[in-house]
Amino acid sequence: METTLSPQSLGKPGFRSDLRAFWAIARREWTIFKRYPSWIIALLIWPLIFPMMYILTARALSGIDGSGLSVFTQTTGANNFIGYIVVGTTVWMWQNIVLWDVGFALRNEQMRGTLESNWLSPTWRFSYLLGHTGPQIITMTMFILITAIEFGLFFGVRLNGSPWLALLVMLASIPAIYGLGFAFASIVITAKEAHTFVFLVRGLVMIFCGITFPVSLLPGWMQTIAQWLPQTYMIHGMRAAAFANASLAELWPDLQALLLFGAFWLTLGYLLFRWMERRARRTGSIGQY
Amino acid sequence: MSDFAIEAHQLVKKFPARLGTGDKPTESTPTQPKKRSLWPFRKKEPKALFTAVNGVDLQIERGEIFGLLGPNGAGKSTTIRMLCTLLEPTSGTARVNGFDVVEQANEVRRSLGTLLAGERSIYWKLTGRENLEYFAALYHIPQAIAKKRVDELIERMELKDRANELVEKYSTGMRQRVAIAKALLARPPILLLDEPTLGLDPQAARNLRELIAQLKQEGHTILLTTHYMEEADQLSDRIGIIDTGKVIALDTPEGLKRRIDQKEVIRLEVTGWQEYIGEKLRGLAEVSSLVARKQDEADLWEVNLQSNNSRAVLPKLVESISQNGTRLVNMNIVKPSLEDVFIHLTGKALRD
Repeated sequence: METTLSPQSLGKPGFRSDLRAFWAIARREWTIFKRYPSWIIALLIWPLIFPMMYILTARALSGIDGSGLSVFTQTTGANNFIGYIVVGTTVWMWQNIVLWDVGFALRNEQMRGTLESNWLSPTWRFSYLLGHTGPQIITMTMFILITAIEFGLFFGVRLNGSPWLALLVMLASIPAIYGLGFAFASIVITAKEAHTFVFLVRGLVMIFCGITFPVSLLPGWMQTIAQWLPQTYMIHGMRAAAFANASLAELWPDLQALLLFGAFWLTLGYLLFRWMERRARRTGSIGQY
Repeated sequence: MSDFAIEAHQLVKKFPARLGTGDKPTESTPTQPKKRSLWPFRKKEPKALFTAVNGVDLQIERGEIFGLLGPNGAGKSTTIRMLCTLLEPTSGTARVNGFDVVEQANEVRRSLGTLLAGERSIYWKLTGRENLEYFAALYHIPQAIAKKRVDELIERMELKDRANELVEKYSTGMRQRVAIAKALLARPPILLLDEPTLGLDPQAARNLRELIAQLKQEGHTILLTTHYMEEADQLSDRIGIIDTGKVIALDTPEGLKRRIDQKEVIRLEVTGWQEYIGEKLRGLAEVSSLVARKQDEADLWEVNLQSNNSRAVLPKLVESISQNGTRLVNMNIVKPSLEDVFIHLTGKALRD
């Protein structure tokens, strides 16, 4: 049978093509995100609401004249209890949002019905998660900036340290936080439901990582568990950088732990993704709702 | 480069029974599982496996439209999903554009434009143009070419006036046109179209069939699955009839119809149909197969019979039907269609 069409498609594989595909995924995600305007309200209100619960509890416990706060300062070494709480709760919210957002990225595509049509293209499939992460990091950066501005304006919280070192701790936290999100994304697409896991992880962070209290208050066995959670180092490092004027050398143990946890969770996230991808081809689970 | 656009040899796909595969055969073949749990305290019930595709052989030539015709759950979509690399065959081999679907999956994806059944393969919160630009990047089309190609396809699919509107505001037919444009973006040599006209209104379906015919003229090889016999008949160079995971007949539409050329097809419309009448008619020597289907209208049934001798059987039919409140409303002797071929081969209707 005569054909006039080239047996080759117009696609040109290569690193630049993969990079452009990654960029297209990130841009698509950002465009869709912007088309749900309720995000502005969430971005303005959430940074205040969650920490407020703990701040008001702390105020109530410190007594009418605030005399109990000296005990808090003695225990934590922090003069600014609001800043202390805000750092812990912000790290908790960051991890929580990543678990829901990046963790459910593929599942949401699957529910939308678009996962298979993405999967049919020759793009490197891990890009679908990486591309989703780009806009997520941008929105989380906005979230953290808004937190800093709102607590600066309404509660007079001021940094007592280097903002650049605080930023460095944040950057060092990204691989661990998002690696955990990648691992979750593969579990969610396989199990179809992972709310229990999300509740478990954020519960662990809430109890063991000292979001509103120092880890040293915990019993020994709980402190041991805390040492195995990267969020413990994020919270400790960010508090030290932002409010205790810590130097790079003082922050180094936290940074080192965060990078090691980051390498571990990114590797695990990628391996779980590969496993999920192979399993999906065997079982057809990508197309099942 | 292989002589064939698509080749499949003894393609088999089995799923664990508890999975909703969406394409389970109506008569699945339960087989024993290969593995049992080694965990001593948890005895797992052995899981049955459903054989969705059971040894499919295909050789599709370059430039032809090949129709895969079968009822829901026959294995059409599972076959397509294996060919487009979404599923791995349990056994057997398949090559698309000369590339192995398991070993060279990425090359296969590059050679294919696929339209899967269902309209939600594109983003409703993006515009038609944004969707096409996005998928052009995923298919690695260089930017300058992509822009021209997107414009060209928007024009061709008659979407120009609304290309910058969100897809959520489009009609079903327009969404399907965007999905087809997406499949055509990289100008792939082979197109897999899974139930392309499903859910479209008659005019949109007709337009789409015209487009498919044009794509063949341009040199695309097209594998089309459908359970609309008219569609397969009108478009396909060759048709494979698939049922319970097996290709039970493969020929040109004319060749398939010739198989029951000697037979006459009697189409009856009946009210108050009773299954026992069907049993009685099946017992007549002149009747080789009979299928009764309820119509949309209340209590109206369409009954299809195949017979070697309609003259002899007609009086008996009238006599058997007109009793106990059953009424013959209409009767025709018609030329055999592909559906009659299917009934002849399987003893059931395509849309059962």
